[in-house]
Amino acid sequence: MGCVSSKQFKRAEEYEDSSTLAKETTFSVNEVEALRVLYKKISYSIFKDGLIHKEEFQLALFRNSNKKNLFADRIFDLFDLKRNGVIEFGEFVRSLNIFHPDTPMAEKIAFAFRLYDLRGTGFIKHEELKEMVLAILNESELILSDDAVEQIVDQTFKQADTNNDGKIDYEEWKAFASKNPGLLKNMTLPYLKDITMVFPSFVLNSGASDDEL
Amino acid sequence: MAMESNNTQDPQLIMGRYRLGRLLGRGNFAKVYKAHRVSTGEAVAIKVFNKDAVRRSGMSEKVKTEVDVMRRVHHPNVVRLHEVMATRSRIYFVMEYAAGGELFARLAQSPRLPEPVARRYFQQLVTAVEFCHSRGVYHRDLKPENLLLDARGDLKVSDFGLSALQQDGGAGLRGDGLLHTACGTPAYVAPEVLLKRGYDGAKADIWSCGVILFVLVAGYLPFNDTNLVLLYRKITQSNYMCPPWFSVDARKLLARMLDPNPRTRITMSRITAHPWFLKGNACPLVATTTSEASSSSSSSKGAACKCHHHRDEEDSEEEDGRKRKRSKVTVSSPSMAVIRPSSMNAFDIISRSSGLDLSKMFGDEGHIRPEEARFASRESTAAIVSRLEEIAEARNLSVRVKGKGRVEMEGGGRRGGALGLAIEAEIFEVAPSVHVVEMRNTGGDSLEFREFYTQDLRPSLGDIAWSWQGGGESPPPALVPRRTAT
Repeated sequence: MGCVSSKQFKRAEEYEDSSTLAKETTFSVNEVEALRVLYKKISYSIFKDGLIHKEEFQLALFRNSNKKNLFADRIFDLFDLKRNGVIEFGEFVRSLNIFHPDTPMAEKIAFAFRLYDLRGTGFIKHEELKEMVLAILNESELILSDDAVEQIVDQTFKQADTNNDGKIDYEEWKAFASKNPGLLKNMTLPYLKDITMVFPSFVLNSGASDDEL
Repeated sequence: MAMESNNTQDPQLIMGRYRLGRLLGRGNFAKVYKAHRVSTGEAVAIKVFNKDAVRRSGMSEKVKTEVDVMRRVHHPNVVRLHEVMATRSRIYFVMEYAAGGELFARLAQSPRLPEPVARRYFQQLVTAVEFCHSRGVYHRDLKPENLLLDARGDLKVSDFGLSALQQDGGAGLRGDGLLHTACGTPAYVAPEVLLKRGYDGAKADIWSCGVILFVLVAGYLPFNDTNLVLLYRKITQSNYMCPPWFSVDARKLLARMLDPNPRTRITMSRITAHPWFLKGNACPLVATTTSEASSSSSSSKGAACKCHHHRDEEDSEEEDGRKRKRSKVTVSSPSMAVIRPSSMNAFDIISRSSGLDLSKMFGDEGHIRPEEARFASRESTAAIVSRLEEIAEARNLSVRVKGKGRVEMEGGGRRGGALGLAIEAEIFEVAPSVHVVEMRNTGGDSLEFREFYTQDLRPSLGDIAWSWQGGGESPPPALVPRRTAT
């Protein structure tokens, strides 16, 4: 579970063992094996080295390996727990675990906070939120006046920054997100429950022993 | 027994999650057991494959194909695949359990059914088969063993996609393959399939549905002979006799379904518009599922009879909305209170970034869920609503304006499929005079939604929409890759 907290992951051999990952996450051994099928697909899409590089991640998300996107960058950086520029299989599974429908909301809230805390200061600052709003507007080809953007950000700060210090701390974020569960919708991927049916090839080389679990 | 497990603690427990019960049936590669989910007690059917046997007979790819097909055909009248599991030696398909057993076991009690009862089963069968055809999936092995009943007596077609496992990919039947089906008789198989001609899966299924209809009403097979050669001849010549109690409409419909020429044989959309099909109860009684997480796929509308079912989960406060919906088009002049949109805060907006939508990572596979499209507008909510109403009116859709800036549109689609269109538009205020409208497919046909989006919505919104998101300049990604198992 401790997707984020732990820096003490054992050095992965080539791929981490499915049952180890299953024990640490909500996924079953079979689900981890199905995720491995997906992981291989993505990690061999460009560089063929069995690791997910940013270009491969962008290709998977946008069908375009050169498409830059602030939010996709943030996701990539957070998935890359070791910060070595690639997403390894263990990192992939542990990070996706946060998006599992059965993962407690508290973990999703924590992940979203780190996602939006662009500079890693422990706060979501006014200018960070504005930067993100501008990014999504740009991505959607919406043009709003600077005043309108300020207004949107101010309005949100009025609701979220309850102690009025110009930045949203983690406690404020927890309260705000709990009140607005809709904004965490993208932190849950229903597909993860169907993953064994989406990538059924795992059945042929499943390593799950017959008396496992 | 395939089930003597290595698990020393509890041989009846699979992967710690399902407790195996009695054997329900066995096939060439698999045995099917009743089982219970340990966590919820829910009854399921589990099909157990011996992996070695599957591998030895070169069926590995076909097992994957079957999963892929079954996953695609979520329909209230099709047995659903819940989960796939595997160990080193076995593969398990966890499926919906049909508590009512085989439809034809019921026939053993009363050998033939009154036409209204037969009609109900036939409607459910045709609705299910038509839905699968719309997804590019053909059964090609419709026969009594594949028609099950759930606890409420609703029909469940099983083994869609399984034919791949039994028929050598379905490229054609070999003589020996035939002997495995239908207790050794090809009684349900279309002539063109018998003749090993390249065939249209849809038309072959229609023939089989015709045979099933005959059996339901007559109580015996239309084509029957202990001599296989004579049986083949009867089938290829469509040589059958209706018993005297068949109604005129039933005879007419059967004659069209049991047309030995697949080219002139009746189509699905004609069947669902046929007087016999529509008779009596105005709507096909399609099972409604209420407890599904992805309930969207189970919207129960009989487009064929142009009337609306109401989903069970709808709140009752919307009763008058329903009444309005019954009239073909409701051009309403909603009060401002009704259409006041919800507002979006900055994080709501950000959370809609495509960079945060990891479902894309799952490739086209991710798009079997309800689809969305989104546009922004500087127009007022009232102007947006009235434009949506105009678009709906042009397409003959019913419109319902709900609270909090939500507008529902529903109606038959162009393709004439059973699901048709069911769309919800939700209007949000992002900033003063800036609205974002999200359109969601809430249980209609994916292909219909996509067509509506590209052909009706986008062109007609032109001047009020000022930007699109999600689709960009190109249409949304392929929703359901068309897959023919032929």
